[in-house]
Amino acid sequence: MNTRKIVSLTMLSSFLVLAACGGNGNDNSNSGASASPSAGASSSASASQPAKKVELRMAWWGSEERHEKTLKAIELFEQNNPGITITGEYSGFDGYFDKLNTQIAAGNAPDLIQMGGNIKEYAGKNSLLDLKPYIGQTINLDDFTPSLVREATVDDKVYGVTLGVSSSALLYNASMFNKAGVAVPTEKWTYDDFKTIVQQIADKLGDGYYGSYDLSSDSATLASYLGSVGKELYRDGAIHFDKQDMVNWFTLWSDLRKSGAVVPAETQVANPPTAVDKSLIVQGKVAIQSASASQISGFQALTQDQLGLITFPNGTAGSGMVPPISGQFITAYSGTKHSEEVAKFMDFLVNDPEAGAILGSTRGVPPSAKIRDSLAASTTATDKVLYDYISLVSEVAPDVDYQQFPVDTEFTKLLQLTSEKISFDVASIDSAVDEFMSEVNKLLAKAQ
Amino acid sequence: MQRYKTYMAGYAFLLPWLIGFLALTLGPIIASMYLSFTQYDLLTAPKWVGLANYKTMFTDDFRLTDSVQVTFKYVLLSVPLKLAFALLLAILLNQGLRMLHFYRTIYYIPSLLGGSVAISVLWKQVFDQDGLFNRMLGVFGIEGPAWISNPHYAVYSLVGLSVWQFGSVMIIFLAGLKQVPQELYEAATVDGAGILRKFARITLPLLTPVIFFNLTITLIQSFQTFTKAFVISGGTGGPINSTLLYSLYLYMKGFTFMEMGYASAMAWLLLAIIAVFTGVLFLTSRFWVFYSDGGK
Repeated sequence: MNTRKIVSLTMLSSFLVLAACGGNGNDNSNSGASASPSAGASSSASASQPAKKVELRMAWWGSEERHEKTLKAIELFEQNNPGITITGEYSGFDGYFDKLNTQIAAGNAPDLIQMGGNIKEYAGKNSLLDLKPYIGQTINLDDFTPSLVREATVDDKVYGVTLGVSSSALLYNASMFNKAGVAVPTEKWTYDDFKTIVQQIADKLGDGYYGSYDLSSDSATLASYLGSVGKELYRDGAIHFDKQDMVNWFTLWSDLRKSGAVVPAETQVANPPTAVDKSLIVQGKVAIQSASASQISGFQALTQDQLGLITFPNGTAGSGMVPPISGQFITAYSGTKHSEEVAKFMDFLVNDPEAGAILGSTRGVPPSAKIRDSLAASTTATDKVLYDYISLVSEVAPDVDYQQFPVDTEFTKLLQLTSEKISFDVASIDSAVDEFMSEVNKLLAKAQ
Repeated sequence: MQRYKTYMAGYAFLLPWLIGFLALTLGPIIASMYLSFTQYDLLTAPKWVGLANYKTMFTDDFRLTDSVQVTFKYVLLSVPLKLAFALLLAILLNQGLRMLHFYRTIYYIPSLLGGSVAISVLWKQVFDQDGLFNRMLGVFGIEGPAWISNPHYAVYSLVGLSVWQFGSVMIIFLAGLKQVPQELYEAATVDGAGILRKFARITLPLLTPVIFFNLTITLIQSFQTFTKAFVISGGTGGPINSTLLYSLYLYMKGFTFMEMGYASAMAWLLLAIIAVFTGVLFLTSRFWVFYSDGGK
């Protein structure tokens, strides 16, 4: 609670300072950085430039830590490029896309938009700008792995620039493992190990402490579980699992819930793991939750406990992990009036060494090899956990071509509803799964 | 000529409202009528699908069924409770209190803040699992449930929040009470009527026009409640759709699932539901609403 207050106060004050700087960015940059003209010459300096003032807006979601770093990077860009100002429109993940959809429909979306795995959905609907004309010119992607560019490519048009490489993960509180005297898991662990471990932690630490969140509502964990038993959540317009798989899945979690090893339903709803500032991992009350690996720095910023990352457990068919993918992209709104400046800022985000140093791994492992090398000397312990995890996933993940469920938002909500019906004892596993299967098929029919 | 000028002046004064009405109300209403017959994902042009949205609504949408049930529960509980509570307080405040203005203001404050997000956030804190309310219960050794994150109780916390915002209804009741002629009470007292009889035979009948007005307005507002449910459930309507009020689901369809055509159709269904309820109120009003001037 206290850390949260401090962080938000810091955020607020740094935002105010930034806002103050934004008003007369020219003056500040001149007095601070360069010995150019004279102190009172800022007006003449701007007069000598082509009188062009460009105001851009950029939207992103994330934790306080990411907001702070991104605002700092923007400030640096504004200093280097007098005449361009960028206003941040940032929030948590909840509601981010609702707001964005509204803005796009109204024709006033931000010039720069952070996107996730759903980038192709938006690209297909002509909301995003094709960046191909700028690549090789304003935007340099020479240091990128080709697969990262492919992920943002639809019909030979490139709609986004990867900001970081990430992977789904289990985020764990290592300090709680220590306290319970349980060894932290390795990538070799199985679902049986998982059950034993979370039970041990819950038993050792006592009332109010749990080995894991109830992950039955988490689609990434489910996707990995299905992979680990030789099935697949989705491929080429169809699901590749049956009712029994889902019954097994919910039974696994139901048993753990009954034995007190995972978070009970009420507590889970009140403290959803998706909200960084509410997560019980941060409060040292739950040892494991699911997250995107790049989120670790945001979580770690809020706690003294040591956090770590581990792959999902193995099943009868081995690992169900998918190879690391681009966590987030920076994209441009198709209606932007300043595409050249937008492209310039995109290039700055991924290729500028100073920006790289400021942003660190807040959006995952930096995609440019050069930036990674230049950061190697200054990596924090948390960065190292992330880097190690990403290379671990590259090793253990079978070579599959990941396909995202097409109506992901609705699927996630449906899975959550099914999970809650079971955890609140409103429906039996059997009837809840029946309903789930028929609704999933309806979703797929709709997506066609 | 003179007459024509007067008309023009009238319309000129009306113009700001007229433009606002045409551009911001009538236009969107017509657009939403059209959109309700289309499939529209906000990002690409709407596609005509005829009655498909309406058909899905009535035959194949379990969330809509959940949401209609929750909304009816919410409306049928919160409207009578709110009116009763407001009337009770209005009567208390009408007892010739000193500092009436002060109390009236105090009790009106929740309604002033009512629609705001801040109050819903506050409510969420108070009724959270380890919120203020449960801590208070804890003092008496009662372990309260997580009011807002338990599907069995969540809707009652919304009802509670709604009832708490009784202020504007109360003010109108208070004005109505002040209209009741004192001599009727005096005459009744002389005839030996007690407090309850005076209330039932004088206050209530003379207050029916005000009750009718408050009932209609509150009913319409309640059907359209959005902010409370959105903030308290974190935009999910959960757990298990237990706070999925109609407007929240409509919003979710439109802006989260990007089915604006379907959402528009839902808006028209809501209009129809509200029309039926208010229609019934108006039709029955002549049996129970008493106008002292004979309704003229």
